Amino acid sequence: MKRAGRRFAAAFAALAACLAATAALAHPHVWVTVRSQIAFSRDGKVASVAHDWVFDEMYSSFATQGLAEPGQLVTRDIFAPLAQENAGNLAQIGYFTTLKINGKSVDFGPVTDYWMEERPDHLVTFHVVLPLKSPVAPGRYFSLLVADPEYFIDFEFDDTDPIALVSAPAGCSASIAKPKPLEGEDPKTLSESFFTGLAPGMNFGFKMASRVIVACP
Amino acid sequence: MTRPSLIRRLSFGLASALFALMAAAPALAQFARRPFEVGGGEGGGGASGGLTGWLLAEQSQLTHVMVAQVKALHGDPAALWGLVGLGFAYGVFHAAGPGHGKAVIASYMMANDRALRRGVVLAFLAAMLQGLAAVALVGGAALIFNATAAQMNRAADLMALASYLGIIAIGAWLAWTKGRALVAALRALRRRRAAIAGGTLYEGAPWRAAPAANGATAFRAHAPGEEAIDPADCGHAHAVDAAALGQGFSWRAAAATVVAAGSRPCSGAILMLVFAFAQGLFAAGVAATFAMSLGTAVTTGALAWAAVFAKALAMRFAAGEDSRVALAARGVEFAAALLVLAFGLALLMGAQGAA
Repeated sequence: MKRAGRRFAAAFAALAACLAATAALAHPHVWVTVRSQIAFSRDGKVASVAHDWVFDEMYSSFATQGLAEPGQLVTRDIFAPLAQENAGNLAQIGYFTTLKINGKSVDFGPVTDYWMEERPDHLVTFHVVLPLKSPVAPGRYFSLLVADPEYFIDFEFDDTDPIALVSAPAGCSASIAKPKPLEGEDPKTLSESFFTGLAPGMNFGFKMASRVIVACP
Repeated sequence: MTRPSLIRRLSFGLASALFALMAAAPALAQFARRPFEVGGGEGGGGASGGLTGWLLAEQSQLTHVMVAQVKALHGDPAALWGLVGLGFAYGVFHAAGPGHGKAVIASYMMANDRALRRGVVLAFLAAMLQGLAAVALVGGAALIFNATAAQMNRAADLMALASYLGIIAIGAWLAWTKGRALVAALRALRRRRAAIAGGTLYEGAPWRAAPAANGATAFRAHAPGEEAIDPADCGHAHAVDAAALGQGFSWRAAAATVVAAGSRPCSGAILMLVFAFAQGLFAAGVAATFAMSLGTAVTTGALAWAAVFAKALAMRFAAGEDSRVALAARGVEFAAALLVLAFGLALLMGAQGAA
């Protein structure tokens, strides 16, 4: 009887694992190439982050569907309602943007400068400027992360022109830190999540994301 | 007594599930919006994560290659085969994602049926319906009405809402019927135990007179003469035997499950179809979508198979006293029914609450 009970439990565990495995697997449906500008105030504080996000062909054709006459590009005017909706939704989830200065995520103020348009190559661009609620001194270094924690959208920094610093204090420089390959603990976490049915961390998208490191003297 | 308290606990669980449903109802009016979303969202209660990093990379890669393949169609019609093959592979991988109704189908099968082929057929039909839903949505919206992304999103939301509510309804119905069956099985077991222990039927009789309760392999070892003692027990106590576990399957309920699980189009298919449409190759998009559905059906079918197999296995190892097997079966079925209900609620709430 005892043995039977144990086998019963084993069979059940196997089934639970099967079901659990299906419960949580998000993967990107939308790809975005990111170019960002970090602007400094006159007194050398970080004042705003401006993003230009270029969407992949699939999402671009989805977003432009039905909006313009055949052969015409979708202008900023036509896109205005969608841009407004997206900006509003972005605000609720922190703009997919984490700016960490002195180890603390800074808050962004209300966003007024944003637009969407279809480029001549038919890719859709979303432009948005995120002003810091109050400018913050950069310290020795700070980091900028653009990622969808749910990983529906895959953000990648542009290969050639990922980041620009505008009126930065002399000596500040930016570099890109690629995500660590899924090594060490991660495969373990992932296989554990396979068996426990828990997501490997709600911020899996963060792990797959590059980040900008800005160092100032 | 532990058994009455178990019943109480079960009814408490059911009551809280219903309460959760009622609490969710006022919020039904509107789905939470995510920026740059596509279709009815990906469901899955906002859960994120992955089986392996490789799997994630593989799917991204597949999508990019499919895009290239669609464009290759302009010059080379034979690229269609490649596209269909890729779509199939994408479906197999992709179906491991949330919101594809696999979990619903698998739990449903577990709650209801042991017939393997039926499970696979249900999985296949749900996957095909999901492909059809995407084709109907994009075909109708984009082709006929020249709808915008926002309008298609709204339509997809409605389809998703219908799907989630359907899953919740099926889950609630299953939980109700399976819960009652479980209670009945519990009663049967108790009655039987009481009979074995010489309860009211055998007031004052020595305990050893009871094992005559027949039909149970575990209690076979008794003197032949004792068998005749309890004719009264025969009729009800062991009314349910293992062979009857598959009963209660109705094609009407199964069809409802297929519709509920499959009526929500998935974002990947919508994107593929709109992209193909924009390229003037809608038919190729349709072919790719159904290839995806077929791939999805493979994964879902495997899961339905696993569910049926696991239940059969569990039943086999719980063998022994008949009413105990029945009880275990009802327990598993009831748990699976609650799971269907929970999936529906999770999907709905995942769609409601962005944060």
